[in-house]
Amino acid sequence: MLAIKIWNYLKGYVIIKVEGLTLERLLNLAASNNVYLWDVKRIDHTVIEMKATTKGFKALKSLVKKVGCRVEIVDKKGFPFILQTLKKRKMLGLGFLMFWGVVILLTSFIWKIEILGNEQTAQEEIIKTLKDHNISIGKIKYSIDKEKTRQILLENFDYFSFLSVDIKGTKLTIEIKEQDLPPEEVNKDYPCHIVAKKKGVIMKVVAKNGKSVVKKGDVVKEGQLLITGIINTEEDNENGFLVHSEGKVLALTRYSHIVEESIIKKIEEETGEVYKERGLKVKDKGIQFIKGDVPYKDYIEVINEKKIINLDKFNIDIPIKIVTYEFREVEIKEVKQNLDFLKKSSQIRATQEINKELPDDVQIVSKDVKYFIEDNILKTQVIIETIEDIGKKQIINNRED
Amino acid sequence: MKKSVDNVKYNLSEALELPKDIVMDLPKITMIGNIQLNLSNHKGIIEYTKEIIRVNTNSGVIKVTGEEMEIKTILSEEIMIVGIIEKIEIIS
Repeated sequence: MLAIKIWNYLKGYVIIKVEGLTLERLLNLAASNNVYLWDVKRIDHTVIEMKATTKGFKALKSLVKKVGCRVEIVDKKGFPFILQTLKKRKMLGLGFLMFWGVVILLTSFIWKIEILGNEQTAQEEIIKTLKDHNISIGKIKYSIDKEKTRQILLENFDYFSFLSVDIKGTKLTIEIKEQDLPPEEVNKDYPCHIVAKKKGVIMKVVAKNGKSVVKKGDVVKEGQLLITGIINTEEDNENGFLVHSEGKVLALTRYSHIVEESIIKKIEEETGEVYKERGLKVKDKGIQFIKGDVPYKDYIEVINEKKIINLDKFNIDIPIKIVTYEFREVEIKEVKQNLDFLKKSSQIRATQEINKELPDDVQIVSKDVKYFIEDNILKTQVIIETIEDIGKKQIINNRED
Repeated sequence: MKKSVDNVKYNLSEALELPKDIVMDLPKITMIGNIQLNLSNHKGIIEYTKEIIRVNTNSGVIKVTGEEMEIKTILSEEIMIVGIIEKIEIIS
């Protein structure tokens, strides 16, 4: 019923009032002439009100004349009539169009530039670079080429390891991932903190500029504030002035690596038993002639391909090949390795792994090696303790939004 | 003559289990509580007021008595009456 109602609304219908004495006859005539009428209401002894489609109303008019009644339109409803009234009220339509026009116009500008993930670069610097290349607040968003913007930023800031430019609605979002190695010098015009780039135990803090907030013996986590660039004066505790902090933070750091090595080594040895199967291969699709179970528990599969017709001399490549599948039986033997030798070799391997991670200017304090044996597996842990500068400059205010 | 044709039709629908309202062209009345009445296979309205609706059918005049009744839809095959229905009479 709802579908019919919606359909009638879209097509438009009229509410009509019929006055006369032979109203039942009119209803019968309408029904037999396939005029659809609904919501027939008796208003009075001589008056009924009903709804009819616009088409049905036209047909009804001639029927009304036949039975000698009077018909009168009470109301017109539906979508076509709304359109008609809108045609008369041109200014309303114009206002509607203008409304959409303004909405579309306003949403086609960039109203906000958001920069995420910049820790060592000032937001102002990025925005200034973009502005030099004609990208700023108030520019039409369709004129901004995302790929080009990316290129511009990557050229100007060569230490960005990842960059994504995204336009969502009226917001230009630039997501940056900086390389762990900071640029040679963070611009001294901008205030910054010094934070820890890895965890460690503080040995010594030398603050050339700014105020140290950690002392000797403190355990710091990655990202923890070490030297603050906000200096509070005694009168005004809330809004201190900002400085570009500088200094060295030496800390004891630990590197460890575990190498696992099985003491028992499996060696595969061929017994000499061979089981063969043949197949045909056309280009990359193969047919295996006999698909039987391989009668060995452990085996190596060797596949040989051979061309049936060899016409390489004439430079013709016929892609039909005979394939021989060879299954060679193997016996698995377990051999116990020399423990001392194994310990030595795995210790060297672990140390090599740590050396890869170590920064250049570190001072190695101690080296510790531990061995555990668990289920025939030798675990070798090498721990190296070093003293290094763990300070990393981070520009203030970048994390607030 | 007409009687015998009707008889044949009746026997046929009995034998083949065909719906009688279609085979014999008889009205079919469906009611939902006392608020709605569907009448298919009608032959025209005779009287229509808020209290009494009389409809002609093949099995005689069906008189529906009630209060605040109104014809929801009217088609050549079907009439739907809504309102408070109190009584249905078949006058043949």
